[in-house]
Amino acid sequence: MNRMAAVALNTFKETIRDRVLLVIVVFALAMIVAALWLASISLGETARMMQDFGLVAVTAFGVIVAVFVAGTLVRKEVEKRTVFVVFSKPVRRGEFITGKFLGLSLTMAVVLAGMGAFLFLLTWLVAGVSSWVLLAATGLVYLQVLVVIAVTIFFSTFSSALLASVLGICVFAAGQLSHNVLSLSRLGDSALLKGLSWVIYLLIPNFSAVDIKPGVVGEATAAWDDIALWSGYLAAYAMVALVIATLVFNRREF
Amino acid sequence: MGEGVSGGWANKDSGRERYAVAGDGMLPLETTVARPSGRYEERMETEKGQLSQKAVAVRELRKTVAVGFRRRKVEILRGTSFAVNEGDVFGMLGPNGAGKTTALKIILGLMRPDAGAIDLGVARAAVGYLPENPYFYDYLSGRELLQFCGRLFGLPERVRRERAARLLAQVGLEEAADRQLRRYSKGMLQRIGIAQALINDPHLVFLDEPMTGLDPLGRVEVKRIIQGLREQGRTVLFNSHILADVEELCTRVAIMRAGTVVWEGAVAEAKPPDGGNLEDFFIAAVSA
Repeated sequence: MNRMAAVALNTFKETIRDRVLLVIVVFALAMIVAALWLASISLGETARMMQDFGLVAVTAFGVIVAVFVAGTLVRKEVEKRTVFVVFSKPVRRGEFITGKFLGLSLTMAVVLAGMGAFLFLLTWLVAGVSSWVLLAATGLVYLQVLVVIAVTIFFSTFSSALLASVLGICVFAAGQLSHNVLSLSRLGDSALLKGLSWVIYLLIPNFSAVDIKPGVVGEATAAWDDIALWSGYLAAYAMVALVIATLVFNRREF
Repeated sequence: MGEGVSGGWANKDSGRERYAVAGDGMLPLETTVARPSGRYEERMETEKGQLSQKAVAVRELRKTVAVGFRRRKVEILRGTSFAVNEGDVFGMLGPNGAGKTTALKIILGLMRPDAGAIDLGVARAAVGYLPENPYFYDYLSGRELLQFCGRLFGLPERVRRERAARLLAQVGLEEAADRQLRRYSKGMLQRIGIAQALINDPHLVFLDEPMTGLDPLGRVEVKRIIQGLREQGRTVLFNSHILADVEELCTRVAIMRAGTVVWEGAVAEAKPPDGGNLEDFFIAAVSA
């Protein structure tokens, strides 16, 4: 536990001190402002548009930052041979992988909290709306980011950093559309197609289930139970990804 | 003993770790008690006395790796055997590509041997290691690196702080302690590397090319540290191409060539019969 915390703290320092991350976050904040400006000139429903546009910007930048940092986390340690220092000490591979995940999760918590607060504040100042659903939605974006981090770390244990990041984005995109897979299965009568659709549906993290639109606030509240259930599923999904990543990483030699 | 033996065990009471491998067995991270098998009893009886004084005993290590795009097989270790006694300063000599670093990595659990046996006289928590051409997290300061390494060993905060301060002074990096490692020179990185290898107050220290990149003053400093470890009764195993340092510091040496140990013994005996120094002996041994 202590060793995992040490790796997590070190990863947090690594990512939070990364100047590239800082530049991306500043850029992301600028994009949020641009999105809000776009929304504010739309005719009517300014508050709704601002929240939805802003949340899309927060999600996009959150995921982009997460996958590109997660892709390099483990690879960089292997390539720069800092793993020699770590694994010559009594550190288990699972502690290392989990520590890396927790460290970046902490950084992303800071980044998303910052972006979410910024968005909340701006919508309040400009449109006079203080939407708590917006904050909840940002929390659910964070949950999706955690899954994407775990999956990208898993990919990075056997592929290049860039490929791992691209695959991470693919999983995120697929997760947004996963409910379509089930709709697809209803089109035909084939039992095989139906079975296959369910397998694919379960293999892809179902992000669409936790995607709430604060703009249509009120309607979303009916689904909170479902959202809690799917959140549990996503947390389990991330854990399974980390376990498989550890199993793959256990085979690695340095 | 050696190739073909599978399974592993550790003896918790004595704090020793032993492992015999065939296939893809992994070294144990910590001292754990494996259920003694018939083989275990048999080996304990036959080897107990023989191994008890060894800090490291390596027998018949074999390792083949696949390199390049075509995954060409290269046999790096071809039955490497050597033993380091407790309290030894042991020098691993050999030309580049002889397998010194690979043998070290296998002992440390960074690589898996294809076959062979390793007996580590102490638990992993009592081992220190300086990698070759060390690269550390350049966003950390020297003090933070030592703190991080101390945490990996589970040292309490107070001990980490005290040891970090003492080691920083010992390797002459007090003034640079709070500077990020990206601003360190190569020699400074080598010195912080030695400091991190000593953060757990190890009984057994592996130093891979500890003199590389150091100026003459830095070399003297590192030699002084190794001598200090010897005086404290610690066991040191190091790789070096600088034979004068090996001659000065080591009690015993092993000379490797093409994946095997061609000579092992006291450094005082590593001299050609017709006169000469360690360098002459080394050249004769590796070119024979």
